[in-house]
Amino acid sequence: MATLRVTLRVILRSMWRRAGGRYSLIVLGLWVLVSLVSLVWTPYSLLATDGFHVWSKPSAAHPLGTDGVGADVLSWLMAGSRTNLIIAALSVIVAAAFGLLLVAAMVSRHGALSAVSVVLVDALISVPTVLVALILCVPFGASAAVIVAACGFAYGLNLARILRPSAMLAARSAYVQSALHSGMPAARVFLTHIVPNTLPVLVVQLSMSAGTSILAEAGLTYLGIGVGAGVPSWGHSLATSVKFVGIYPLTVLWPGLVVTAVVVALNLLGDALRDAADPLANPALRGGQDER
Amino acid sequence: MRFMVRRLALFAAALVGLSLLVFVVLRVLPGDVAAVMAGTNATPERIVSLRAQMGLDRSYAAQYLDWADGLFHGDLGTSAIGGKSVASQVGTRAGVTFPLIVLSLLIALAIGLPLGCAAVLTRNERLRGVFHVVAIVGGAVPALWSGLLLILLFARGVGLFGVFPSQGFPADGWSNPGQALMALVLPALATGLTAGAGLMRYTRAALGEAASNSAVDMAMACGMTRVQALLRVGLRLALPQLVSVFGLMFAQMITGVMVIESLFALPGLGAMLVTDVGNRDLLAVQSELFLLAAFFLLLGLLVDLAHRVLDPRFKTARSREVG
Repeated sequence: MATLRVTLRVILRSMWRRAGGRYSLIVLGLWVLVSLVSLVWTPYSLLATDGFHVWSKPSAAHPLGTDGVGADVLSWLMAGSRTNLIIAALSVIVAAAFGLLLVAAMVSRHGALSAVSVVLVDALISVPTVLVALILCVPFGASAAVIVAACGFAYGLNLARILRPSAMLAARSAYVQSALHSGMPAARVFLTHIVPNTLPVLVVQLSMSAGTSILAEAGLTYLGIGVGAGVPSWGHSLATSVKFVGIYPLTVLWPGLVVTAVVVALNLLGDALRDAADPLANPALRGGQDER
Repeated sequence: MRFMVRRLALFAAALVGLSLLVFVVLRVLPGDVAAVMAGTNATPERIVSLRAQMGLDRSYAAQYLDWADGLFHGDLGTSAIGGKSVASQVGTRAGVTFPLIVLSLLIALAIGLPLGCAAVLTRNERLRGVFHVVAIVGGAVPALWSGLLLILLFARGVGLFGVFPSQGFPADGWSNPGQALMALVLPALATGLTAGAGLMRYTRAALGEAASNSAVDMAMACGMTRVQALLRVGLRLALPQLVSVFGLMFAQMITGVMVIESLFALPGLGAMLVTDVGNRDLLAVQSELFLLAAFFLLLGLLVDLAHRVLDPRFKTARSREVG
């Protein structure tokens, strides 16, 4: 346990040393913090509207101004960050579970299973997220769950295709063979010997998927197949300000800036994490000489 | 050759599987389409008659065979709400969406490929950093937002420089090509810039990887400069990978294209699909979804084939694996 904590500290410190890693840690830390704070406090209640001050410019009372019904833009963005945090986290979990399941099938020793799964991934990979969301939307209606399911499905397929080469290489290695021959259950071999080999790619791909899920949320919500009306999210904030962009251009600036900043952070996070957590790339992890 | 046959057979099988999937998902999952279409205060008789009218009271097998038979003969069914044939609607709307996609891809290529190459070619560390930032930030901008910023900058009426029409598409379609093209410039830029940033990142990665290939060293040993070796040998090595990425990017772009169509009020396929899904227009939606998904499967097939043609190493690797 103690070594794990030490390793974590080394990784975080290595990330902090690089500009990209530092930026992503700061932005993502703020994101989580704001999401937690928004659970108990936002400057104004989400339902509080001020009919006398619609589309107001940024002021001391409303730091980012108000929208078309006089609601506080900052409060909605703060509340939206938790929705997006949940959507991104769940999308990544679903994508990782689905993707690793497919990888397991692709490297399995059953010839038919691996052949079918390879074919399935190749065939389905070109079906875009929005199409999956549209299909799911017909019976279920628009909701955050539809976004998570669509993103998890599409990114899981993507993940499986990208992880396959490294997983194949590991599956054919002598240590996997000897583990299998010594009677270790196949599922455990997969988790302890094959998955760690794919980690560098997995980490980068998953953090990029988290970023893409935020972009997807914005797009899908604008199209009316994302989170339901009245649910705070960055996509919702972006979509509500769109209609009046010609008259009140400033309101559209904030949600777009927030989304861009967070997606950049997520894209950088994967690279920084890979560089910091890979013992081959980060000398600080080898031998533990700078921790005592 | 054997690969071609197998890949085509797979494509056909995937089409059938896909049609089944779309059909089953739209039927089996909860939610009575007829009840939704009839509205909240419809009488039960009205719902029953609507179900009969749409053919929903027949067995699933009969419905599916009927639909598949129609698809096979080019009959995509008729929209339950407008009463228009789905095929003709798709036809006219594709005339907006496809030029938009092609234009966006051209823009993405024109931006992503040279900048991605430049990021590898330059030896100036600071310039490399700038390229990296451009690629990362450019790929992180939501299509909706970039579209809005473009409107604020360049659209007539609201923009700082009123050059392009801000919304809509000429009612007479492509009979006035200049006007139609003008209407597509801003939308295509909005999606093309983001896609270009993505392509730039992939080009940088692929070319950077190819740069450490011994073939590039060999070319330089034979007297090419580093730039020549990278552009002539390195780029050729990276090409198959880039083609694959390009195909996948196309699929990813379609979300942005739908958003942008809606933002710029273009009467394209995306807008139609969203409207029909919103209306729960089951018969139209199933044909449209199938067509779109089939299109992407076809794209995947073409990319795979192009990949094979462009990368002769695959042939030997394959025969070694099989033999």
